[in-house]
Amino acid sequence: MLTAFARAFRTPDLRKKLLFTLAIIVLFRIGSHIPVPGVSFEMVRSCVEDSNRNSLFGLVNMFSGGALLQLTIFALGIMPYITASIILQLLTVVIPRLEALKKEGQSGTAKITQYTRYLTIALSILQSTALIATARSGALFSSARSATCDPQGIVPDDSLFRVIVMVAVMTAGTSTIMWLGELITDRGIGNGMSILMFVSVAAGFPAALWTIKEQGTIGGGWVPFFTVIAIGLVMVGLVVFVEQAQRRIPVQYAKRMIGRRAYGGTSTYIPLKVNQAGIIPVIFASSLLYIPALIAQFSGGKSDWAVWIERHFVKGDHPLYMITYFLLIVFFAFFYVAITFNPEEVADNMKKYGGFIPGIRAGRPTAEYLNYILTRITWPGSLYLGMIALVPSIALVLFNANQNFPFGGTSILIIVGVGLETVKQIESQLQQRNYEGFLR
Amino acid sequence: MTEAHGSTATPEHSSSDGRGSDDEPPGGRRANRPKGSSGKPEQKKKNLFARAALFYRQIIAELRKVVWPTRNELSTYTTVVIVFCLMIIGIVYGLDLGFAKAALAIFG
Repeated sequence: MLTAFARAFRTPDLRKKLLFTLAIIVLFRIGSHIPVPGVSFEMVRSCVEDSNRNSLFGLVNMFSGGALLQLTIFALGIMPYITASIILQLLTVVIPRLEALKKEGQSGTAKITQYTRYLTIALSILQSTALIATARSGALFSSARSATCDPQGIVPDDSLFRVIVMVAVMTAGTSTIMWLGELITDRGIGNGMSILMFVSVAAGFPAALWTIKEQGTIGGGWVPFFTVIAIGLVMVGLVVFVEQAQRRIPVQYAKRMIGRRAYGGTSTYIPLKVNQAGIIPVIFASSLLYIPALIAQFSGGKSDWAVWIERHFVKGDHPLYMITYFLLIVFFAFFYVAITFNPEEVADNMKKYGGFIPGIRAGRPTAEYLNYILTRITWPGSLYLGMIALVPSIALVLFNANQNFPFGGTSILIIVGVGLETVKQIESQLQQRNYEGFLR
Repeated sequence: MTEAHGSTATPEHSSSDGRGSDDEPPGGRRANRPKGSSGKPEQKKKNLFARAALFYRQIIAELRKVVWPTRNELSTYTTVVIVFCLMIIGIVYGLDLGFAKAALAIFG
């Protein structure tokens, strides 16, 4: 199997794509280390070391690969782009004009992509302003307590011009990331957005694992360290198991004669994954849950409601937080499946091309049948997503480990989901040239 | 005739679209329609727990029809994914170490 990786590099076409993707990843990581102008680099460094894992920005910091707290030019990471594309996908259902654009085909999709980019810029202006405001007020490292770290001193000169420059640089950084992601999609391997997300999450892994060892008390920290790794491996297996599970709905295509040749008559199936929604619900739920904490932080955390939010929604170990997270994931799983898989459309297309499900009439009954299966298969799928995503919070309570338990749900889902997708894509490219892939 | 509303069987043969018994005249079948559709609300009047239990059984029935990966598939996929992820994590970790040092040298 390992020789397949070497073989992938020996195929000239594939090698080019892989190296291109790697080069983009390198660029991405460089940008994650260049500080934004106007920030005191030394101060940030000592504060980051000191506060280590700020509870408010924990998850979002993880999504940006640790760049957020360091206030680098790529501080916002790929999140604004992902949020924008999710919002646009949701809006497609609501706004008829967008729906018409989507049905238009390629030119319409290009238009929607363009809107996504604009929305990304707007979101990143918003987010960078919020981030800089928090940094300026010293709230970014409010939990940090040490002699060298002075949260107020992160932005030494807070004149308006400086702030505008900082916002502009961060927004430019975010749009560069967006471009890098699209380059990967076009000329590299896999989906650029998810690859960059994957890299960001992966960047935080070693440090987070090491923190567990350092903070652990049993057996010099090695016992929790290896326990966490073992749990992580089991979870990888579990995620792969469910991601690979499909409900196959048989579809028979009618034979027809065009001229002298017979076409069709094949039987295929519609693969309905148990987790048809993928990792999107988890990402969306977590970014939604981060909003109340952000607002509370903004207001200074003095009023009653801010304290309430602080107590219930900032740390992931409160039952209320867990329940909300779980419910949101289940909701978004159904919502996203409803958006991406339209039974009526599928039934219509099948009818158009002479396909049918054996035993089901074409048209409306087929759509109803698909819907019947979809709702029943999505229930376990969404529950699974919620359970997996909740593991870090539960582990936090049981283990007393830190919040960014690296093998916890969200990160594991992203890592394994993207890894599986990318590996499959490399595999199919290998097979195009009659090479044996690695998924034997 | 399979009764789709009350069974866990996937409605392969939906009973409502006119597959009445063969000896019935066409007219009679059409006359039966409203009765058939009014049968649905009757079904819905069953208490909540019965319906939830039925739904649960239908979910289990669908899950049985899911093609789960075999042990062999699962192990290859898992190892490949783990190897791939470890590679990427290793590369990114190496890059980060280098760049952090470089940033410190330039800006620090």
